[in-house]
Amino acid sequence: MGWPGHRLALGFFAIVLVVWIGVMAYVMRHAALPPEATGAMLAVFEPGTPEDQIFASLTRAEARIVRPSALGFIWIVTSEEPGLAGRLVSEGAAGAYRDLPISPAIAGCFALADAKVANFLE
Amino acid sequence: MTSTASPLRWYYAPAIVVIAGCLVAMVNFGVRSSFGLFTAPISEAHAWPREIFSFALAMQNLLWGVATPVAGMLADRYGAARVVMVGACFYFLGTVMMAFTDTPLFFTIGGGVLAGIGVAMSSFGIVMAALGRMVPPSRRSWAFGIATASGSMGQFIFAPLGAALISAYGWHNALLILAASTLLIIVFALPLMVQNTSQSARPAGEAEMTMRQAIGIAFGHKSYLLLTAGFFVCGFQLAFITVHLPPYLAEHGISKEFAGIAMGAIGLFNVAGSYISGMIGGRGEKRVPLSVIYILRSIAVAAFILLPITPVTTLIFTATMGFLWLSTVPLTMGIVTVMFGTRYMATLYGFVFLSHQVGSFFGVWLGGRLYDQFGSYDIVWWMSIGLGLFAAAINLPIREQRSPQFAAA
Repeated sequence: MGWPGHRLALGFFAIVLVVWIGVMAYVMRHAALPPEATGAMLAVFEPGTPEDQIFASLTRAEARIVRPSALGFIWIVTSEEPGLAGRLVSEGAAGAYRDLPISPAIAGCFALADAKVANFLE
Repeated sequence: MTSTASPLRWYYAPAIVVIAGCLVAMVNFGVRSSFGLFTAPISEAHAWPREIFSFALAMQNLLWGVATPVAGMLADRYGAARVVMVGACFYFLGTVMMAFTDTPLFFTIGGGVLAGIGVAMSSFGIVMAALGRMVPPSRRSWAFGIATASGSMGQFIFAPLGAALISAYGWHNALLILAASTLLIIVFALPLMVQNTSQSARPAGEAEMTMRQAIGIAFGHKSYLLLTAGFFVCGFQLAFITVHLPPYLAEHGISKEFAGIAMGAIGLFNVAGSYISGMIGGRGEKRVPLSVIYILRSIAVAAFILLPITPVTTLIFTATMGFLWLSTVPLTMGIVTVMFGTRYMATLYGFVFLSHQVGSFFGVWLGGRLYDQFGSYDIVWWMSIGLGLFAAAINLPIREQRSPQFAAA
């Protein structure tokens, strides 16, 4: 029997990445916050949303900005008032997710993908 | 192949065995790389100072180094698959203990001692030894490369996954899920049973000798000592950068988040670097590319600290270092195999790896110690450059040929 080579390596790593993305998407679905949630969270907007539009949405949602992320469409926000997650979504955010102990930009990318899938399924 | 196991079973096919070894390496390296994410939630949950968690992880790294030669001896005696499977049980128990215990002592025993032994016994060093015995010499370096790359891939994919698990299910459940995933190692190791050292004959072309004799000869072999000394430098550089680069970047105005992305680039480029290194090692002498890697690391570090620190230079530096990160591993393992054959390769690589871990200890410790003393990392960066050049110099005289005592009469 012949010994495998680069094609096997490429196929193997490609399959691993696909499985990983699938598992991450599944886990991120569980990290999505229900509308009544409040506290610190990631507010994820559509990429390309103008900054002033994002600020306006956050203001209307009564969200306090904690810090920006490396990506302009992902912000870490907080509020003491209940229902921040629901208000963010109704004011134009693609989704609201629990903050992750890694880069919000990386977390936000998975969150955005999850929000897209959720919206598509709805 | 040296095994007496049936070659007819589908899961003993070469491609399956290689993939199985890669999956073992991936889970082994991946799970432990996500432990750092639990520092804050576990410390806060138990109202512990950070020192307790840090001490347990430091102990884990130490045990990983110390237990690797022992795990190698067991693998060379009883077969890599069995050792990997037992290691997975240790890994599982240690991780579960981390989730359930609320006393520092048991946390250290679980996360430090048991997990450290588990990581050592199921590490890619043991996997590479198994693959090294199974694949023909012409494909050996490639196999070392893909196994190392898989470990790197595990590091790359498990860190964000661990973070997502914490976010979605809380730290306790996340740790239990990770613990359960270590049991997958047992399943993934099954095809490695095709290589069963305890039942195998002495590999063709290799002299008959006991393990004690093999270790004694290796430690009297100048090239082995040079290789071991060079690997100390590898550990020093990687551990220093892993632990001290983020605060160094913060000092130079790079945001914490961008630093996270830059560190992620190390993991990504590490996959490609490890694999390509394996390919290069299969084409000729390994000592020259090994020396070149150490020289390139020194050049990269010098350029990084001499140029203004910007997001662009940071990303270029971490991508470059990522490419050179574990690319030393396939070449180092390859040289051990060339010099001493495959019979005791897990043991002899284990001692080389122990040197790597001692280097890691000094990289982390001296980084903090000298920073406290001088208020700057500059001296350790320059030390890293100097050590890189030293490693390049001492790898070049290595005689890349079978040790006469290890060659069959």
